[in-house]
Amino acid sequence: MAKVLTIEDDAVTAREIVAELQSRGNQVDWVDNGAAGLSRASGGDYDAITLDRMLPGLDGLAVVTKLREAGVQTPVLMISALSDVDERVRGLRAGGDDYLTKPFAPDEMVARIEVLVRRQRGTGRDAVLRVADLELDLITRSARRGGSVLELLPIEFRLLEFLVRNSGQVLTRTMIFEAVWGYRFDPGTNVIDVHIGRLRKKVDPPGAAPLIRTVRGSGYRLAETE
Amino acid sequence: MLKLSDHWRSATTRLILIYGAFFVLWGIVLVGVVYWETGRYLSHVVEAIVEQRARYLGSIDRARLPEAMEATGALDLRGVMSLGLFSADGRYVDGNIERVPTDLPIDGAIHALPNGLDRRGRTEREPARGLAMHLASGEVLIIARDTSVVDQVAVIIRNALLWGFSLTVIPGLIGGFLLSRRPLRRVREIESAIEPIARGDLGRRLPVSGRGDEVDLLATIVNRMLGEIERLIGEVKGVCDNIAHDLRTPLTRLRAQLHRLQQTGGGEEGIGPTLEHCIVDVDSLLDRFRALLRISELEDMRRRGGFGNVDLGAILHEVHELYAPLAEDNAIAFRVEPPLPATVHGDPHLLFEAFSNLVANAIKFTPRGGMVSVRTSLAQAGPRVDIVDSGPGIPSRERDAVLQRFYRSDWGRDSRAEGYGLGLSIVSAIVRLHGFRLRIDDNETGGARVSVECWVDAIAPAR
Repeated sequence: MAKVLTIEDDAVTAREIVAELQSRGNQVDWVDNGAAGLSRASGGDYDAITLDRMLPGLDGLAVVTKLREAGVQTPVLMISALSDVDERVRGLRAGGDDYLTKPFAPDEMVARIEVLVRRQRGTGRDAVLRVADLELDLITRSARRGGSVLELLPIEFRLLEFLVRNSGQVLTRTMIFEAVWGYRFDPGTNVIDVHIGRLRKKVDPPGAAPLIRTVRGSGYRLAETE
Repeated sequence: MLKLSDHWRSATTRLILIYGAFFVLWGIVLVGVVYWETGRYLSHVVEAIVEQRARYLGSIDRARLPEAMEATGALDLRGVMSLGLFSADGRYVDGNIERVPTDLPIDGAIHALPNGLDRRGRTEREPARGLAMHLASGEVLIIARDTSVVDQVAVIIRNALLWGFSLTVIPGLIGGFLLSRRPLRRVREIESAIEPIARGDLGRRLPVSGRGDEVDLLATIVNRMLGEIERLIGEVKGVCDNIAHDLRTPLTRLRAQLHRLQQTGGGEEGIGPTLEHCIVDVDSLLDRFRALLRISELEDMRRRGGFGNVDLGAILHEVHELYAPLAEDNAIAFRVEPPLPATVHGDPHLLFEAFSNLVANAIKFTPRGGMVSVRTSLAQAGPRVDIVDSGPGIPSRERDAVLQRFYRSDWGRDSRAEGYGLGLSIVSAIVRLHGFRLRIDDNETGGARVSVECWVDAIAPAR
């Protein structure tokens, strides 16, 4: 699937990241310091990088800054024990593409990497997105399923667009909330579920093959077939 | 600004006024005694002179009496003595008194003559003391002396009193007024320094002038106390944060393992639902710890980097968009009204989080068929947002407590305060960070009204 570089000095965390990524069929290289990480990332042809924020010597922030300066555009998931909002903003400004706070659920980490890889591979330039018989026109902001128009509220369209753009991937509730609403906190147990439920009623009417699936313990996935 | 009324309230001014009143009272008593004693002495002197003259003239031979009266008059350079000789039937015989005063009994004793007596060559009457006596010849001799000197002394004493008071009381009052200004100004300085401390910024201290006066002494004591409170709170918070932080890692690993088990062996009979429950429980534990650390982070937030002008209406509209489906699913009428164009200074992400929390709680505790309403009003000081619901409300004795980080209700599991969990503490922390205020009341339906007053108000000075 994808080739991922993990830059992480803590062996236990690194093992977790590597194991989880490999279990999803990714090829993973691991280095335990910033300098080695920088040279590998500059040279190697990676689809994504997980980068620890706090590294001995050259720290994560410096690594991502230097990478971007050198013109390397590989998506970077910053992983940090610092949960401070400002810290996150700093990581993203330096050139990080996403930010995950330690400790993290491995499936959440993998889901985020997969979204980054997908984005990098560039499915996002089309004016029309398609999954099975579902069609999203990004210009007219309209959606059709099997030829019939879906009556979607603006927020429902944004939600569906995010699911379709990342079709086939598990998306956690946190990721959905972050991407669709643009906020980063826990909005309450089931508010995202309710939104998905409403969307599902419109996208997957009775009789049609369901596209939106619940991934137990993780989140949701929009996919054509299992 | 110091107002005049503040000066009257100051302790120094009050002391000076009380002291001043005592001073004036004592001055009046003192001068009164002096006046009375002086008057008594002078009257005594006048009486002695009158008696002595009476004895002398009474003992003189009748034939030599006019001559002696003349000599006595000649000795009286200031013209204060009055002498008169009258026949037994009251006709004028000799002297400078024209007629016998009607209010003077002829008994040889001295009497006051407040209306004076008629003297030759003088038009006004002067108050006097005098006596009238029968001579051996049957004639009446009257001797009197003006007492105006006593009155003059009284005037002198009264003038001295007025001058004395004006020279001491007026500069005293002005001095006291000026004297009371400095401590009052220091108190005002301390008041404004206390404001951020009362808001929770325990890193601040009261100003110490270095003069070592009473105010300094007090400020130093309070500062020492603040230091100790800050240290203790820091320690408690540190311990809590460490526990939350340290427990998070093993919990996350536990969750990962449960998740992996679910992915691989979840098909086995009976294990699937149990695993699901375990994951839900671990998730709720992780949520708790995340919330605790979030509150901690908010409380530590000193910089306000994300602050700017925030369109409150837009935020509330987004909150509505996020929670409207949830409310609808629970058959709750959820409205945001009216969309006022209100702008506040704050962090849009944090404000959205706070209002989301409040709305989520309101929906959670409102039974089916109820209502949740978000109302914005504009007070003089700024916009105010009320989140009103038709739920059971929050008991008044729990209203402050629900805002605290570790509060657990005595009302047991059913209590609304219990159900709020850490959500309200997060809201409280966000509101505090902004300098806003959170109020919890009942509304007209008996449900809760949670108000966010979006203005930075000064703490009212203690009265």
